[in-house]
Amino acid sequence: MTAIHLENLSKSFGSFTALKDMNLEIADGEFVALLGPSGCGKSTTMNMISGLLDPSEGSIRFGDRDMRGVPMGKRGVGFVFQNYAIFTHMSVYDNLAYGLKATGVARSERDRRVKDMAEFLHLTPMLNKPSAGLSVNILQRLAIGRSAIMEPAIFLLDEPLSNVDAAFRAVMRTELKHLQRQFRQTMVYVTHDQLEAMTMADRIAVMDHGKLLQVGTPIDVYNNPSNVFVAGFLGSPGMNLLPGRTIAAPAGLCADLGSFGISAPLPVAGLSEDRAIVYGFRPEHCELTSGEGIRLPVTFVERIGARTILHMGNKETSLRGVFDNDVPVRTGENVTLSIDPANIRLFDAKTGDALTEAR
Amino acid sequence: MTAAAIDTSPTPIEHEDVRDSRKLGFWLTLPAQLLVLFIAVFPILMQVYISLTDWSPLDGIDWWQAHQLWNSFANYTDLLDDDRFWSALGRTALVMAICVPCEFLLGLGLAILFVDNFPGRRFLYSVLLVPMMVVPAVAGYMFFMLFQSGGPVNDLLSFFAGSPVRIAWLSDPNLALFAVIVSDVWQWTPLMFLILLAGLVGVPEDQLRAATLLGASWTTRFVTIVLPRMKTIIIIALAIRVIENFKVFDNFYIMTGGGPGVATETISIYIYKVTQQELIWGYVAAVALVILITLSIVSAYAIKRMSQSRETSQ
Amino acid sequence: MASIAFNNVTKRFSETVAVNNVSFEIADSEFFCLFGPPLSGKSTILKLILGLEKPDEGEILIDGKPVNHVSPARRNVAMVFQNLALFPHMSAEQNVRFPLAERRMAESEIASRVAEVSGKLHIGHILHKSPAQLSGGERQRVAIARALVRDPVAYLMDDPISALDARLREETRVELKRIQNELGRTMVYVTHDQEEAMSVADRIAVLEAGSIRQIGAPSDIYDNPNSSYVAGMLGAPAMNLLALDAGNSSALDGALALDQAHVPQGASQIGIRPEDLIVTPAAASDETRVRVFEVEPLGGVTVVTLQTGETSLRAMVRGQPKIEPDSEVSLSVAAGQACFFASNGEALRA
Repeated sequence: MTAIHLENLSKSFGSFTALKDMNLEIADGEFVALLGPSGCGKSTTMNMISGLLDPSEGSIRFGDRDMRGVPMGKRGVGFVFQNYAIFTHMSVYDNLAYGLKATGVARSERDRRVKDMAEFLHLTPMLNKPSAGLSVNILQRLAIGRSAIMEPAIFLLDEPLSNVDAAFRAVMRTELKHLQRQFRQTMVYVTHDQLEAMTMADRIAVMDHGKLLQVGTPIDVYNNPSNVFVAGFLGSPGMNLLPGRTIAAPAGLCADLGSFGISAPLPVAGLSEDRAIVYGFRPEHCELTSGEGIRLPVTFVERIGARTILHMGNKETSLRGVFDNDVPVRTGENVTLSIDPANIRLFDAKTGDALTEAR
Repeated sequence: MTAAAIDTSPTPIEHEDVRDSRKLGFWLTLPAQLLVLFIAVFPILMQVYISLTDWSPLDGIDWWQAHQLWNSFANYTDLLDDDRFWSALGRTALVMAICVPCEFLLGLGLAILFVDNFPGRRFLYSVLLVPMMVVPAVAGYMFFMLFQSGGPVNDLLSFFAGSPVRIAWLSDPNLALFAVIVSDVWQWTPLMFLILLAGLVGVPEDQLRAATLLGASWTTRFVTIVLPRMKTIIIIALAIRVIENFKVFDNFYIMTGGGPGVATETISIYIYKVTQQELIWGYVAAVALVILITLSIVSAYAIKRMSQSRETSQ
Repeated sequence: MASIAFNNVTKRFSETVAVNNVSFEIADSEFFCLFGPPLSGKSTILKLILGLEKPDEGEILIDGKPVNHVSPARRNVAMVFQNLALFPHMSAEQNVRFPLAERRMAESEIASRVAEVSGKLHIGHILHKSPAQLSGGERQRVAIARALVRDPVAYLMDDPISALDARLREETRVELKRIQNELGRTMVYVTHDQEEAMSVADRIAVLEAGSIRQIGAPSDIYDNPNSSYVAGMLGAPAMNLLALDAGNSSALDGALALDQAHVPQGASQIGIRPEDLIVTPAAASDETRVRVFEVEPLGGVTVVTLQTGETSLRAMVRGQPKIEPDSEVSLSVAAGQACFFASNGEALRA
């Protein structure tokens, strides 16, 4: 079992910078999710950890070992590809046994371990079937089993659930979590789905455009995003972000939100007047009120089972609020929202960084 | 916008579009079908007919009257006693057993080298294909000159040996066989190279990466993943070369004329000589037909294996 | 007059019955969703509507007229493919006008149709670009415009957004709903994502192995499923199905108290949605305590997995309450929010 240290890691392809100055410490046995949209550099980072790509700058260490120059086959990492890369010309058994056979494990030992792993992943009924043509859900488990059987110290998973149908994703998330708990491997998981990251990871590393933006436990990153991108990316739906300017009011410093009105007094002290800010609040934190607040027209009512999402705002700015199913609002009506100041997050309009006390 | 009304008059023929395109296809390919009929099928029927007779052009009768010289299967039984035929057949099989594996291994080796990019790859690729583009007869003549007693091959050997080397390549029965084999390998290795490279490139890279990460060495990967996935292509390549090599004629005939003696007489050269020199066309027809049937069986087998592997190794 | 109707349609592929005696009517301008797990017959039904497959039994009607023997080209139903299938070597405009150019229409007519459709989908300003130069959302709208320019009776989409990033999926499904609303054209939409189905559909048909189990508006099916199967298909985390204790006054060996009067005759199972399961810290004297197995904070909600004996169930609690794993809690059900099922899975009303 090994800790991973990424220091000043960068990667460029010609003039294109895929990753810049990434610093991340992953503790032994920790489950870390690299979360971000397509093109943010998460797969590039993963490929460098596995040894498929060499860093342009910076270093990767597993524990004390510097991985520079260590070839892919010798790093002791397990890797689950997005499209599984199952050896489709072999049976399920042979796929599971491949790594053991390639590294010279004796047949009886091989057989025992393959059968155990098949049992654990519910693959025993199809052990001797050809792996071609099996359903995606089975291939998924086979891909994991094939790597897990080698008992690698580090397990890398590259968006393994993106090809899986929605219902099965929930089942697989639980299985993966249990797998990691059982084997206690250091796991690095790449995904664009914030729900996956929130449910499975010990810590989340949010990335965008080649930069690591924030690292923390799921709830920390959710409650205290360090910038607008993280705020908007986490949560379903993500945080509402309104452009505004600080304005002095009798009750204190408020935000002028243009056509949406003036907000309640801001919870952050020490801000100058007439400063361009971004006013943020999560959809589940707003309430409908008949009193003072932010005025908005409702453009769309989305009922999705346990909750209802109200889409509000105008062409330039679209906001969402999460409410119970009995919310008495129709499309086209106007509503007024009030938000507990403790749930307001402010960001600098230029840099996007979170504004806390004394800035 | 109101939706346009749909035409629901029932069309009596189901899948009418498929029917239509089939009919069109038939009429468009009819000229080509007639051509194939004339060039391929008709001559074979003619050949079968003549092979059952004792006809020769010297007899003075037209071929369609050859039934006057009907001898049933006498030609075929004569075949069994014909020592020269059998030794030609054996020699052809020997040549094939040496040429095809050599071409395959060399082609595979080259293909492996060419999978990854390297400086000058494009240029070298074109150079490698040149031998294939040379007319076989011309290649034969080229090697004829190369293997002369006073020719470049001996000069090169002299250079390395330090003293003059004067091997009579084309007059020595064993060395002549060696020389013609070299010329065939030179000319057709590029074909194997092309086909096998296409096969190599088609092996999914992700699977190779997965194998590497599981600890497999290059050799293990090659044997467990690359070769199995190339099975279909390999069978195609071998089938093509076996069938073509069996019929080899041009370069061998130009280089040695089948000699010295019958040292390099392959089955095609044998048929040619018997046709031209002894003019027993009925007999030759039988010989050629036997060869045709043998090769057809081989290629049918290869095609069957091919379609089987197609289904199992997706 | 229904836009599309299926009357007892069955389709077999050698041994398997892909579509089993299916009947439904899709109204004009409706956003109709076919929802179910893989291999439940959704894509086969689409192909039957398009005419790419012929039914073995039953009748298919489009615009009130039977079309079993009408070729796909003449049915006037358009399909938007999952990968959009835009012609890469043509501009967006050439893509949109392509179906009309095939039909030898007058140039002026083509131009006006293209302009109308482009206006509705707000792609007028990007018509000159090639697909490679467009964003994913723009490409989708061009694909829809191409489908619409033929003025079809209905347009079909087979799982169009499952390949997109999660964030983009949430935004695009709202966009698709909006477009369909504005255009007023009937839409038949296939998906296996239950949240997506509930968000976009006017009515959903829930499928299982080729049969339709229930058709209705999303909130109707969600609140009143007709079987435990349908109840389990919608909602995430899935509805908790618990066996009733003898006497019907409780479940979970007494851990969950029920009002016997509300339990219908013949019920053997109770179904409680995670959001309707109320979790409160247990007093030490409480005999009906349940152990917390796992707590998953998702930000806006927290999913609590509970265990008692062999049974595990899930509760979805708003916000970020302080619940610790391995602590003990008491359970109750929100009033009137439970479903009851007979032993065969059929839903029962009290």
